[in-house]
Amino acid sequence: MNLLTVENLRTGYGPVTVNRDVSITVDAAEIVTVLGPNGAGKSTLLRAISGLLKPRAGRISFDGEDVTNLPADRAVSRGIVMVPEGRRIFVDMTVQENLRLGAYGRRDRDKVEADLRRMEAYFEILAQKRQQKGGELSGGQQQMLAIARGLMARPRILLLDEPSLGLSPKLVKDLRGVILDVKATFNAAVLLVEQNAGLAMSVAARGYLLHHGRFVASGPIENLRDDQMMRDLYLGAAQKVA
Amino acid sequence: MEIFLQQLINSLSVASVTILIGMGITLIFGLAGIVNFAQGEFLMVGGMITWALVMAGVNFFVAMVVAMLAVGLLGLTAERTLFRFTLTRPMNGFIMSIGLSVILQNVVIRTLNEVQKSITPPVTAVWTVGGVDIIAMRAIVVAITAVVVAVTYFGISRSRYGVALRASVADQDTAALMGIPVKRYVTGVFVYGSVLAGLGGALMIALFPITPFTGSVIIIRGFAVSLIGGLGNVGGAVVGGLILGLVDALAAQYGFPQWTDAYSLIVMIVILILRPQGLLGGTMGPRAT
Ligand SMILES: Nc1ncnc2c1ncn2[C@@H]1O[C@H](COP(=O)(O)OP(=O)(O)OP(=O)(O)O)[C@@H](O)[C@H]1O
Ligand SMILES: [Mg+2]
Repeated sequence: MNLLTVENLRTGYGPVTVNRDVSITVDAAEIVTVLGPNGAGKSTLLRAISGLLKPRAGRISFDGEDVTNLPADRAVSRGIVMVPEGRRIFVDMTVQENLRLGAYGRRDRDKVEADLRRMEAYFEILAQKRQQKGGELSGGQQQMLAIARGLMARPRILLLDEPSLGLSPKLVKDLRGVILDVKATFNAAVLLVEQNAGLAMSVAARGYLLHHGRFVASGPIENLRDDQMMRDLYLGAAQKVA
Repeated sequence: MEIFLQQLINSLSVASVTILIGMGITLIFGLAGIVNFAQGEFLMVGGMITWALVMAGVNFFVAMVVAMLAVGLLGLTAERTLFRFTLTRPMNGFIMSIGLSVILQNVVIRTLNEVQKSITPPVTAVWTVGGVDIIAMRAIVVAITAVVVAVTYFGISRSRYGVALRASVADQDTAALMGIPVKRYVTGVFVYGSVLAGLGGALMIALFPITPFTGSVIIIRGFAVSLIGGLGNVGGAVVGGLILGLVDALAAQYGFPQWTDAYSLIVMIVILILRPQGLLGGTMGPRAT
C-alpha cells in the first residue's frame, strides 16, 4: 500500500485555481520529486498535503486514512511534516529552541531529548551553534536547521520545498547527502520539490513534472530525464549540477 | 522625599491595574492582531462582580478569584462567538470589540445602575517603614501584580507553552507545521487576558469606587501603556505601566494632580513620536501567510 496517495487534487487561492487534477503516490521510505518552473504550483501542492491549505476538491490519504481536511498541526502528529519554502526558521529563538519546537506535537516526550542529541550529532554545526539565535545562522546552516527541526517531529514523510534555494554548489552537495540520509538513517519518505532538477534527479527514484498546476509528465527518473517536456522546460539545466 | 515615596507606592498601585490591562491587550494583539477594546469593560465587570460578592458577605480574596474566573469565562465566550470569526480581518475584530464594550456597559447599567460602587477596604492596616506610611492594601495590590507579571514573564520566556506562543506570534503557519494548535493558543490568550482584566477589576475596587464607565477610562490608559512599551511586547506593557506610574507620582507630588491623565497621554504621544515602535519594540501583529 502507498504511504501517501493524492487523488485528483484541486487547489487555489480566492478566484484563482492553482492545481488541477493532481494525483501522486509516495511509498514508505521512497524519495519522490516534483519538478516544475516558477509559479507551477509546487508549493501550493505541498501546502495542501501538509494541511496548511484546504484543498478545493480531491482526496489525500495517508497510511490508508483520509487526511484531506486535516489541519497542519494534526497532520504533523500523523507523521506528515513539511519543511517550508524559505526555511522559516524562528529567527529570534535559539537553535535549540527551534529544534525543540519541531517536537512540539509529539506524545513520546521522554524521547525528545535523545532525538535532540541525535540531531546535534548528525548536524554538528547545530551542536556548535546550540545557543545562538536562528537568525544568526548562514543560509546553509538555516536549511540544515529547518530539516533537523522537521526530523524532530519523527516524520514518516518529509515534504521538502526547494531546500537548495540560495545554497552554494558545495552546500547543495551536502544537502544531497542529508536527503539520502533522511531516507536511510531517519527512515522517512521524502517528497522533494525542486527547481534544481540536477539535485532532485540525483536523489529521487521517481518524479513528476508540474506545469501550470498540472502534471505533464511522470515516471521513473531515468525516463523523465529523456522526456521531451522535461527537456523543453529545463533546457539542459539538469547538467548544471553534478 | 518621604511623601514622594508614599506617592510613588500609591501610583504604583494604580499602575498595577493599568499593567494588568496592558498585558492583556498586548498578548491578544500579538497573537490575534486584535486590539480588544472590551478589555476595559471586562475589568469593570470584574470589579462589579467583586463588589456584588463582597456585599453578599463573601471574603474579598475569594470574590477576587471568582471575578477572575467569571471574566475568564466571559473572554472565552467572546472569543468563541465573536473574535474567532475575525482572525483574518483584525480591523473587524477591533470594531466588534468596541461594540462589545458598549453592550457590556449598558448591560451593567441596566442590571445594576449608574451609581458608583465601593467596598470597605479588605485590608485597612497602614505600615510605617522607615518613616514612610504605606497603605497595606496598596502594597498588596502591587505585590499581587508583581507576582502575576513574573509568572507571565517566565511562562512566556521559559515554558514549552511560552515558546510555542512566541513561535505562533512570529509565524502562525510555521508554528502549525511544528504541530502547535495555533487556534487553541488564540483562545488561550483571550482567556488569560480576560482573567487579568478580572483581577484588575477586583484590585481596583479594593482601592477606589468604580462605575459602569470606569472601563472606558482604564482602557485608554491600558492602550497607552501597551503602545509606549511596544504593542505585542509583554515586557513593554510592564515598562510602559511603570513609566505612567512614575509620571503619575511626579504629577501628584510636584504638578497638578488633576492633570494626571493628560500627563500620561502626553508622555505616550512624545514617546510614540520619538520611537514609533514603542520603547521595547512591538510586533507588527501576526504574520499573514
Ligand atoms: N497566498 C497566495 N494567494 C494568491 N495566489 C497565490 C498565493 N500563493 C501562491 N499564489 C499563486 O499560485 C501560483 C502557484 O504558486 P506556487 O507558490 O505554488 O508556485 P511554485 O511552483 O511553488 O513556484 P516557485 O518555484 O516560485 O516557488 C502562482 O501563480 C502564485 O502567484
Ligand atoms: Mg514554491
